[in-house]
Amino acid sequence: MGSSRRDFMRAGGLLLTGVGFAPTRQALASSLSEGVERLTGAIEIIQMRSDALGSRVWFDPIGLFVKAGTTIRWTVRENVHTTTAYHPRNDHRPLRIPTTAVPWDSGVLVNPGSVFEVTLTVAGVYDYCCAPHEAAGMVGRIVVGKALGPGAEPFDYWVGAAGTADWRHVPADARAAFPSVQSIIARRRVHVAA
Amino acid sequence: MKRLALSAVLGAVLMFAASDCASAQNTAPPGGAYQKVSALVALPDYLPGLGTLYVDPSTLPAGPFLAYDHAGALVSSIYMIPLKDMNAKKAFTGLKAAHANVDHVDIVYNAGHPGVAEPHYHMIVWYVSPARAALLSK
Repeated sequence: MGSSRRDFMRAGGLLLTGVGFAPTRQALASSLSEGVERLTGAIEIIQMRSDALGSRVWFDPIGLFVKAGTTIRWTVRENVHTTTAYHPRNDHRPLRIPTTAVPWDSGVLVNPGSVFEVTLTVAGVYDYCCAPHEAAGMVGRIVVGKALGPGAEPFDYWVGAAGTADWRHVPADARAAFPSVQSIIARRRVHVAA
Repeated sequence: MKRLALSAVLGAVLMFAASDCASAQNTAPPGGAYQKVSALVALPDYLPGLGTLYVDPSTLPAGPFLAYDHAGALVSSIYMIPLKDMNAKKAFTGLKAAHANVDHVDIVYNAGHPGVAEPHYHMIVWYVSPARAALLSK
């Protein structure tokens, strides 16, 4: 939890001096959110969805184009979810966010209405997933400004590279679910087909 | 005669014990090795559509997960079978079951959740009618 909070704050790229440390992640998110709104005013909402049976799960939108400095607010609509950046620090997932960006992991957001926020300040492609639903293909992609970085590379770009021995591959259903970077740049918002 | 009487008493004791165990599972908490799922993984106490779940952790992932309604009455036993195990033709035999009358069975795909974080099937042995099961969504 402490690590997540650190990640969260660093991902925001904000100086948090004076911001109270609330006891819950959600409250922390709210505190940070207020600071972000004051500084940039740009917030994009991604809903974390599920059907009633838990058979179908998805981020909405699944693909999003934003400017650097935009705050992304994930909101749970149904079921339980995480938003977890593709980064080796998150359970040995491969690096699929800009190399200088700080990864995030919300932990499990248990209740509908729970929120988690990250401010993306480094240009590039950010791939993320819902940890318990990754194998079922619940992933999302955000393009910040330009198609740069590891997230713009093929899924297995890292195979054979030094220091990647314990990285694990993106599951097949997750690979199939990602919208292309080009489609996100062209459409700005990509939604999962109904 | 004495031996017969002893056997009868022993039988009665065993029957009482079995019945007591069964009835203990009819209301939450089921006791024994069963623990509330929400205390084991990050899930709400009450899962809409299923109820409050208890499981013996040594039986994961298959279970059974014993499910209870808002009033604490047993409504179902749920077995969670990962898709990859089904594809691998893995057998699950000798799974425990609650001692209650079965009303119907649902077999439902689930995309995953904490505890069984991979696509799997819920095999739900219902002890209540579909109408009562539908009330669990509230």
